[in-house]
Amino acid sequence: MNTTWAASTIGRKQIIGITGLGLCAFVLSHMAGNLLILISPQAYNEYAHALISNPLIYVAEAGLVLLFLAHLATASVIQFKNWKARDRRYEVPPNGEKGTSVARRTLWAQGMLILVFLILHLNTFKYGENYTVNYGNGEIRDLHKLVIDVFQQPGYVVWYVVALVVLYFHLAHGLASSLQTMGIHHPRYQPAIKASSLFYAIIVAGGFIVQPLYVLFLYRG
Amino acid sequence: MAEVSPKLDAKAPTGPIETRWERHKFQMKLVNPANKRKHTVIVVGTGLAGASAAASLGELGYHVKAFCIHDSPRRAHSIAAQGGINAAKNYSNDGDSIYRLFYDTVKGGDFRSRESNVYRLAQVSTAIIDHCVALGVPFAREYGGLLDNRSFGGSQVSRTFYARGQTGQQLLLGAYSTMNRQIQRKSVEMYARREMLDLVVIDGVARGITVRNLVTGEIESHSADAVLLCTGGYGNVYFLSTNAMNSNVTASWRCHRRGAYFGNPCFTQIHPTCIPRSGEYQSKLTLMSESLRNDGRVWVPKNKGDKRKPQEIPESERDYYLERIYPSFGNLVPRDVASRQAKFRVDEGRGVGPTGEAVYLDFADSIKRVGRKGIEEKYGNLFDIYHKISNENPYEMPMRIFPAVHYTMGGLWVDYNLMSTIPGLHVLGEANFSDHGANRLGASALMQGLADGYFVIPYTLGHYIASNNLPKIDSNHDAFKASREEVSQRLNKLLSVKGKHTVDDLHRQLGNVMWEYVGMSRNAEGLKTAVDKIRGLRKTFWSDVHVTGERNFKNAELEKAGRVADFLEMGELMATDALVREESCGGHFREEHQTPDNEAKRDDEKFQHATAWDFTGGGEDPTWKAFKEPLQFEYVKPSQRSYK
Amino acid sequence: MNLKLKIWRQAGPQAKGHFMDFEAKNLSPDMSFLEMMDVVNEELVRTGQEPVEFDHDCREGICGSCSMVINGNPHGGDRGTTTCELYVRRFKDGDTVVVEPFRARAFPVIKDLVVDRSAFDRIQQAGGFITANTGAAPDANAIPVPKPDSDRSFSAAVCIGCGACVAACKNASASLFTAAKLSHLALLPQGQAEREERTLRMVAQMDAEGFGACTNTGACSAACPKEISQETIAQMNRDFLRASLSRR
Repeated sequence: MNTTWAASTIGRKQIIGITGLGLCAFVLSHMAGNLLILISPQAYNEYAHALISNPLIYVAEAGLVLLFLAHLATASVIQFKNWKARDRRYEVPPNGEKGTSVARRTLWAQGMLILVFLILHLNTFKYGENYTVNYGNGEIRDLHKLVIDVFQQPGYVVWYVVALVVLYFHLAHGLASSLQTMGIHHPRYQPAIKASSLFYAIIVAGGFIVQPLYVLFLYRG
Repeated sequence: MAEVSPKLDAKAPTGPIETRWERHKFQMKLVNPANKRKHTVIVVGTGLAGASAAASLGELGYHVKAFCIHDSPRRAHSIAAQGGINAAKNYSNDGDSIYRLFYDTVKGGDFRSRESNVYRLAQVSTAIIDHCVALGVPFAREYGGLLDNRSFGGSQVSRTFYARGQTGQQLLLGAYSTMNRQIQRKSVEMYARREMLDLVVIDGVARGITVRNLVTGEIESHSADAVLLCTGGYGNVYFLSTNAMNSNVTASWRCHRRGAYFGNPCFTQIHPTCIPRSGEYQSKLTLMSESLRNDGRVWVPKNKGDKRKPQEIPESERDYYLERIYPSFGNLVPRDVASRQAKFRVDEGRGVGPTGEAVYLDFADSIKRVGRKGIEEKYGNLFDIYHKISNENPYEMPMRIFPAVHYTMGGLWVDYNLMSTIPGLHVLGEANFSDHGANRLGASALMQGLADGYFVIPYTLGHYIASNNLPKIDSNHDAFKASREEVSQRLNKLLSVKGKHTVDDLHRQLGNVMWEYVGMSRNAEGLKTAVDKIRGLRKTFWSDVHVTGERNFKNAELEKAGRVADFLEMGELMATDALVREESCGGHFREEHQTPDNEAKRDDEKFQHATAWDFTGGGEDPTWKAFKEPLQFEYVKPSQRSYK
Repeated sequence: MNLKLKIWRQAGPQAKGHFMDFEAKNLSPDMSFLEMMDVVNEELVRTGQEPVEFDHDCREGICGSCSMVINGNPHGGDRGTTTCELYVRRFKDGDTVVVEPFRARAFPVIKDLVVDRSAFDRIQQAGGFITANTGAAPDANAIPVPKPDSDRSFSAAVCIGCGACVAACKNASASLFTAAKLSHLALLPQGQAEREERTLRMVAQMDAEGFGACTNTGACSAACPKEISQETIAQMNRDFLRASLSRR
């Protein structure tokens, strides 16, 4: 009568948690790479080139896609189960001391928005205009130029920042939540775990937001 | 005057008391393990007694059907017991022993219980603790990891095991969990939200029950080889009591009407430490565990009508009356004594609080001694409950307390095997009359419920089944049909009156009569008045009650109505019993029989017996005939109880 | 004081429910919320209407029967409180109070405010016990239990099985309930033998009953009248993972 781990709610939550933690590591490194824009266009482009010219990139990308799809699909399955479990809403929603924050209640919706953002994001950058540049070692992609193009449009920057704020909430709750789901909880360390989770989310989202703001307001060709 | 009846054969073993139970167990017949599953046993009620009995019998291999009125067996009222459970473990090395627990219980019951039963209870008490710990009951522990004990209401040794202020819930969850194990093994079938409305007796033997499915209203029959009644006490006859709202006498009363004698119905326990009533709307009273008397000091102002705040009354103007009157036991005198003394103070006009119907229970000295934290450790949740209800902080203000009906020592008469006067009908826990005599000691109710369920009935029931030829009977038998018909008619009758009074209204009136005349202190005239008034109320009930709704749906009003109808008969029997018991003993205080300093005065010459009432007629006004089971005291010689 | 009540009425499991408006007048602030309901009900009976059905029993916060959602919060707005421990003084004169049943697919409404919580019983029947036959136990003091463990176990064992955690959870998840029951036994030496099997079975039953998944919002602990911690859920998650990985 034991359902297997992957079919149980807890097992599924743990799949979401593990994949989430993997994605957390990815966005952190992605954000760190982005900050090279503050150093120089060359550093930025050479780092990007180093990544995409490495043959392992396909393995890494495949892994990333897998992580993402697993995260998304499992979360959606859970979400449908959750909707089914609560068939009727309350006349008055829980509130006051017994209420919970919107940020915590809407993780799945945040995820959906992040999905939309991601698709547009890949379309704009990964599969966007292929400018090239040569720093003496042959032609490489000039991603920097594309980024400058895009982030000089205020409308795009606004959308990007909004999406990143949503990502902030997603990460801030998601990281601590993943640890809880994996069974990591101790009253003595709990405040530190929560604080680190917030700190991490601020760093990641803040780090990403630095790039468009830098381009829009500070970057002078 | 009560006569001796051959039906009241206690079947209690004789000889040295230490080995009576051992010898009795050996003499009892056994049921072949392979045959046990062919025998069905019905257990009504799933409190400590019922859940433990169902679990133990299921474990032995019987086919058990368990019934409860709640949505889950875990909600039975045993859950609300706060204080603790006694056991003669002598873990405290303070001189406790089985014999001492036996002695204290017989004496505490004011020599109105059966020595053999009480000794057995004390004997199995230790096994209860072992079993409960094995089941994962989280009793309080000391830092070394061993179990903690405390002294409790009227006891001079520390033999009480406890789990913060919710020992009842933890013990019940233990019994419930082990019953769940049997449900999982399919040896116990659980029927929740069912109310037993009749006992089916065939050829003089209990063979099943008629129940109402409280969700669908369906009347169901269930047949069995034996019926175990574990349905608790009848304290709610007083309307206001510490019992849960749904606690009732109906199952017991239906059995009584079918021929089970009712033992000592007038023995009720009024608990000294409850939160006083605040208004007419009051629906029940909340107990503050008597463990509080370990650290709290009871007092009233010396001057009548002193309306100052308690903090403003200087030490010299306070009367710590329990410490004054009972220097050796002080605030720890048994419940009946503490309750009566509180009533005397209020009657003198020295009661406190807005209604004047309360005394103080003061923790200021203890807080000074062990600190607020120490008190919080021990009683934190009780203090919180008090604060929530009264809106006063007991860390800063003394609690206001007053006695309230809490437990009924009386119940269906049972022999040493826990069998009633109807063969096959066994009665366990508070529902029977057996072990507490005229007054129950604190922390003994949980002990008795579990003793009956875990350690007595598994043996005695086997003996009953093995010694009797019980032909197969199913619920199509005429007796079942007739019972279903009777039950339906009664429900229809309740619904058809359509008068002016609500059920609660009449229940409240009954409660007032009971509290006034059959409460903490009783006299002949008052008891006669009570009988008259109850008869009047009963007439009003059947001619002018209004029960809303229909039979075939969930209908809480109809449930209540049936229960109050039975209370209206029960109340009369209690008053009648109190009237014929012309002595004071334990919780039964007859004003005509007291010592010069207002203590209970027993009459062992005339009343050293249990009174068991046979229901002889159920017309408009029921009639009864009293029989007696004489009590012998070979070990604990009756003496005037003294706590001075 | 007076309150305007808006109470959910539903004749039966299949019936369509609706809100009934009721003016509760001349209430004493010292009345409990359920005593106010009694007054409302007696008034309804007097006028020949069916009273509002609600589960209640001990009225001292331990049996876990009472189960209303009051102004959006299970057991009302105060922490660490059951409906029966809620007092009218908590409201302001003239307040509107909305009273609804616990809502969850796994807790179908039986009538008015009464819901069927038998799913909780089935979760416990699946494995919420320690297998110990009556009479077979060693001396109670044979196994010392360190006080911190015993205290932690106790703070999970205080669960009264009311279902407020399910009612409060946006996913109607029974995680806190199941975890409390598991932690109570998992933290005691007596509970070790069956610890993994128990976790697997109870979680499987929890899922089978149709409760939602935990998304760690913490609404359950906030609503829990016994304030049981989220730590129990982490413990369940951990034990479940270990048990799933190590089972043969």
